[in-house]
Amino acid sequence: MARATHGALAIRDFGPRIETCVQVTMRNPAIDPFGQVASPFGPGAPHGSGGNGSSSISGASKPLFGADAVLGFFVRMSAAIILLMMAALVIVLVNAAIPSVRMFGVKFLVTSSWRPNERTIPGAIKLNENGKPIIEDGEVQREEEKIIPASFGALPVIYGTAVSSLLALLFAVPLGLGAALFLVRIAPKFMTPPVSFLIEFLAAVPSIAYGIWGLFVLAPFLQNHLEPSLNSLFGHVPGLRWLHLDGAVTGRDMLCGGLILGIMILPIITAVSRDILKAVPRVQIEGTTALGATWWQTSREMLRYSRSGLFGAIMLGLARAAGETMAVTMVIGNSAQIHASFFAPAQTMSSLLANQFGNPESELHRSALLEVALILLLMSLLFNVVARYLVVGKSARSAAAH
Amino acid sequence: MMSFLKSVVALGAGLMVGVSAQAADVKLSGAGATFPAPIYQRWISEYQKSHPEVKIDYVANGSGAGIGAITKKVVDFGASDAPLSKKDIVALGGDDKVVQIPTVAGAVVVAFNLPGYDGDLKLDGPAIADIFLGNIKKWNDAKIAALNPGAKLPDLGITPVYRTDGSGTNYIFTNYLSGQSADFATKVGAGKAVEWPTGQGGKGNDGVTAIIHDTKGAVGFVELAYALQNKVPFADLKNKDGEFVKATADSVSAAGEGAVSHMDKSLAVNIWDQPGKKAYPISSFTYIIVYKDLAYLNDASKAKTLVDFLSWATSDGEKLAASLDYAPLSDGVQKKVAAVIGELTWDGKAVKPVAVAK
Repeated sequence: MARATHGALAIRDFGPRIETCVQVTMRNPAIDPFGQVASPFGPGAPHGSGGNGSSSISGASKPLFGADAVLGFFVRMSAAIILLMMAALVIVLVNAAIPSVRMFGVKFLVTSSWRPNERTIPGAIKLNENGKPIIEDGEVQREEEKIIPASFGALPVIYGTAVSSLLALLFAVPLGLGAALFLVRIAPKFMTPPVSFLIEFLAAVPSIAYGIWGLFVLAPFLQNHLEPSLNSLFGHVPGLRWLHLDGAVTGRDMLCGGLILGIMILPIITAVSRDILKAVPRVQIEGTTALGATWWQTSREMLRYSRSGLFGAIMLGLARAAGETMAVTMVIGNSAQIHASFFAPAQTMSSLLANQFGNPESELHRSALLEVALILLLMSLLFNVVARYLVVGKSARSAAAH
Repeated sequence: MMSFLKSVVALGAGLMVGVSAQAADVKLSGAGATFPAPIYQRWISEYQKSHPEVKIDYVANGSGAGIGAITKKVVDFGASDAPLSKKDIVALGGDDKVVQIPTVAGAVVVAFNLPGYDGDLKLDGPAIADIFLGNIKKWNDAKIAALNPGAKLPDLGITPVYRTDGSGTNYIFTNYLSGQSADFATKVGAGKAVEWPTGQGGKGNDGVTAIIHDTKGAVGFVELAYALQNKVPFADLKNKDGEFVKATADSVSAAGEGAVSHMDKSLAVNIWDQPGKKAYPISSFTYIIVYKDLAYLNDASKAKTLVDFLSWATSDGEKLAASLDYAPLSDGVQKKVAAVIGELTWDGKAVKPVAVAK
């Protein structure tokens, strides 16, 4: 649920600030765009059901005793508690991951065997001088058996997360930027609000809904129509043979996971890049047009002008793709093996967690899962920080420069 | 959370009723395995009908959680699909302190999806191991054909499907295959969660069933009930006596009966690959775990009720098992179980189970 609202929150978060930039850059900065709008809590706004002035909330005329202190305390506590929860999350994850970090160190990130169980290798049969098995008390004598302890290497899931997210970007970036450019430059006025709303609404669809659609519609379509022919094609084209899967295609694989993720990050990429493109100063567009640029050349100039913001939008999409769990778990096939072919099942960090966290085999297994969660958290944090820097920081600076 | 709320409500109710409450209500709580949860709920509701003063709560939160809960004594009984490991037993205080009571038996079936193939499919342990190791890649492989003379198996790729979450089903299946194929034992091994070399994973019995149902050429392992309820066909397996057996309540009970001879003090025996012409090879018990001395319940009436409930469930209650696609305990096993329940004590003294009409 939290993931589903993530996109919408992020959009809202950036929206107003970008809007403000637009206002500042595109109008005379001396006129406060909000100057003429009465504050909703201003003296003129009728509030409350009572008829006389004493019951309306009207500015500072009749403060309730202690209300300032209570509200002040409440809002400070709210902020503090949210920060504390973040800190607690990180501390708990780090603490729980310590046994696994100690045990595997860097090997955790670069080895690819995720095996929660111990394996027992029976010892070799003891042979006598003549090369015959030694039998005592009617039993064949063996060397001592070897127990291979559990091992946890997160490389396959890191690879799965990276590749499925990149596939998602490959699919969502052209579509998202295209739709954003359409909305900003060519969409007729009456069309912009409903199309924008529908695109943003996609971000509010719960991920389980995408998952079910992926499982019952997309995966069977891929298995029956697209993948068999593509797979055999890849098998025959030299240079593309690495994409060929030697086995049955199932539709629940890296490609399907990437496509579902692509659909899920489409709204955030579209909405944020639309706002970024809107923020391109009119002088830029008018300037290029005045120089005789065609529609295409102006658009290219717009994209170039706001490239860092657009890159930020893509990073936001990437952050969502990397952390998305439910839908991708349902369609990616959940096999912690690295295959070059996109038609092979794979697994992401989040789907590994969703699958195995409930019933871990051992404490070490639990610790290893929590280390994966920690890596995921740090990765999301990194993506979001970079995106925030690029989207908000750059727009604010470019606004200040003009 | 729910149990906390419930206890708050119960406390409130208790205070209101006060001293006037004559027959003190007996409350028991259990937690653990999800696989037997439907039959446990059925037993509880039937038992509560005939014993209105008793209230039993069972939370199906997984075998591992059930073992953890009884180890910490936060529940009155735990439940697990896999028998306790040596480590678990040490944590519970040792072999003579803890009792594992088989309640019903279940089967893991090898379900498949072969479009246009209506006949029975016959498989044996080594062939299944080779499929899950990726050594057998096509349905018309010579090894499968040899087990199914005359059958027209398609030239179709095999997609093995397994459980990605830690589960008793994985435990039973991998243990069975490790016994059937040395290759499997060394390359994959046995456990609640293992590393599968090929194929694709689903979460839970329902997840695996859904993948098999939707994927042409898929073969996977699920609990019998899930295959029956979703109408997914499953293979006849070759048992220790060389017979091909379909998984049914009868053939699973037969596997349990086959294990009676090597049940000693502990009833936690594995019943996969048991002798007997009718025995289904991938069978297993599911267990309720209690301490041998029931003093930890802190209430003699709770101890009596628990003993009575367990004796009823594992005798008369077994008649309800088949209707929910579980295999009842065979007579031989029921006798062993009754003996063990009879040895449960309260502060060192025997707790006599209320006589159950048989």
